[in-house]
Amino acid sequence: MLDIKPILSALRRSKVGAILLLLQVALTTAIVSNAIFMISQNLSYLREDTGYPQQEIFSFVVMTFGKDIDLDQQAELDETMIRNIPGVVNSTLSQAIPLSGGGSSASVRLKPLPETSKEGHLAYFYGDENALETFGVKLIEGRNFRPEEVIFSNNFQDNGPTTIIVSKALAQSMFDKGAALGEFIYVEGRALEIIGIVDVMESAWPRADDSGTTGIIPFIHAQNYQHFLVRTEASERANVMNIIEEKMLQAYNKRVIINVEGLDESKDAYDSSDVLMMRMLIVLVVVLILVTALGILGLTQFNISKRTKQIGTRRALGARKSAIVRYFLVENALVCAVGLVIGSFGAVFLGKALMQAYSIDALTLNYVIFTAFFIFVMSLLAVVVPARRAASISPSIATRSI
Amino acid sequence: MMLKMHDINKVYQTDSVQTYALRDFSLEVNEGEFIAVTGPSGSGKTTFLNMAGLLETFTSGQYTLDGIDVGELSDNQRADLRNQKIGFIFQGFNLIPDLNIFENVEVPLRYRGVSSKERKRSVEACLEQVGLASRAKHLPQQLSGGQQQRVAIARALVGKPRFLLADEPTGNLDSLMARQVMELLEEINRNGSTIVMVTHDPDLARRVPRNIQVVDGQLADLTLYQGQPEIDSSCVVERPSEVGL
Repeated sequence: MLDIKPILSALRRSKVGAILLLLQVALTTAIVSNAIFMISQNLSYLREDTGYPQQEIFSFVVMTFGKDIDLDQQAELDETMIRNIPGVVNSTLSQAIPLSGGGSSASVRLKPLPETSKEGHLAYFYGDENALETFGVKLIEGRNFRPEEVIFSNNFQDNGPTTIIVSKALAQSMFDKGAALGEFIYVEGRALEIIGIVDVMESAWPRADDSGTTGIIPFIHAQNYQHFLVRTEASERANVMNIIEEKMLQAYNKRVIINVEGLDESKDAYDSSDVLMMRMLIVLVVVLILVTALGILGLTQFNISKRTKQIGTRRALGARKSAIVRYFLVENALVCAVGLVIGSFGAVFLGKALMQAYSIDALTLNYVIFTAFFIFVMSLLAVVVPARRAASISPSIATRSI
Repeated sequence: MMLKMHDINKVYQTDSVQTYALRDFSLEVNEGEFIAVTGPSGSGKTTFLNMAGLLETFTSGQYTLDGIDVGELSDNQRADLRNQKIGFIFQGFNLIPDLNIFENVEVPLRYRGVSSKERKRSVEACLEQVGLASRAKHLPQQLSGGQQQRVAIARALVGKPRFLLADEPTGNLDSLMARQVMELLEEINRNGSTIVMVTHDPDLARRVPRNIQVVDGQLADLTLYQGQPEIDSSCVVERPSEVGL
């Protein structure tokens, strides 16, 4: 027998503590639901497959100050030299590093301007016929670039490439059923034939909604400041990274090698603010839950000390210990249930506000339900210890005059 | 026999000191008796009441309540026995301030698992008996001390216990209220309930057919007696004719 009616009557007549607890539970539910949702979103993003074997790839920047070389020719020499280092799988020059937060993107169309056409977004990397293997992305349709398709130039519009390898996401975004192989897309006014489709290949901005619509363009524009990407056997990457500066300077010494960094490290740096936010949210969730649990525990303890005589009297009148424990559990459950209902509505409203303010995904109800259930169970656990202590109050307390 | 205590000892033990709250305490109370327990402060009256009401366990001895040996009962069994056989009336009334009069009176019935309909009938009958049917929705603090004690009596009676334990039932009442409460207890006793009442008030004790006195945790004397021939005659004296209200 749960005795809900007299408990409700008692709660109605001493509202303050109950209302404070109810508000605390509601606030905790609203905040924790959204925080857990954001943490979960973040975790699923961090676990997402980027398409790259990040542990096998590293990049570095070359700043050339010597004026006595042909940069295109030196780039080819450098690539050949790097490929000959033991443990290196392949290497390519590129204008951007995947997953690093810095890169290039453009609109993509199915027809040239000014014709009306479906438009999409393309994040692209320049590279030669070695880029596909260096990136380590999986070709699922078509073929790699042929050496003659790679254009060394400084003018993309007039003397640019004619082919492109795109990601499956781009193919699906631009063509029905993703049937893109052999089709043409227009980038910066140039028609590029899709000769290959790769599975997953994230852009330089993996956080972005359209980060998956990417492509590799066979174009090399060697400059004084340029990026190299190197893929090695996983166990050899650290060794190669250690000697790459020395090898590059041996090949030509009027330059500086900087930012030698693993692709996983580049992504970690890109994600650092998100990871920090996630950790802060985890701390917030833990603190809020602890404070709520302590609040419930404290309030129950206070109620028990206030009602010692009453508990003794109830025991004298025939209440078993279990009835006393049940009384406090039911009382707490009633207050928490109301708090959880209010908090659940609050969570949905807060989720909508956050979605509008920060363009994050809409909070899904299962997070609210999970949080509410968790807080409910936690609140019951927080009551058990003081309630058991209350049950151990002797019935003889009823006959004491003090 | 409603209550039979034989050589009951209650010892409070600290690291170095043993304190006897009751020592070799023996008492028999027949069904339908009304007994007043008197004695100086600290004599063991309340300890006796706690033992009799199963509110505390005793250290040694034997106690039979309505034929049940309570010495070996579990905590739950003691709670059930309190609920079913004993009605308590406390000096401070011990009403639950957050519950109204009706809810206060029905508390023992809730612990007994009585149906809502049956509870309502019993509570209304008891409130009628103590003259407070019209105050069922009031909170305890909205009633006078005498009314509160009558509510406490209704609560003690609602489960139809055969044994009532009253701890200074008039201790917090003025003389008029005390008399009303006492008359109510006498009426209850006439209806067949056994009552053991702890009191400091000698005038009140004189109204009761049988008195016992507790001194230093022991039964000192049975002083007053009227019409209870099965009581040990060595403990019985004539009730003075001038005593009474």
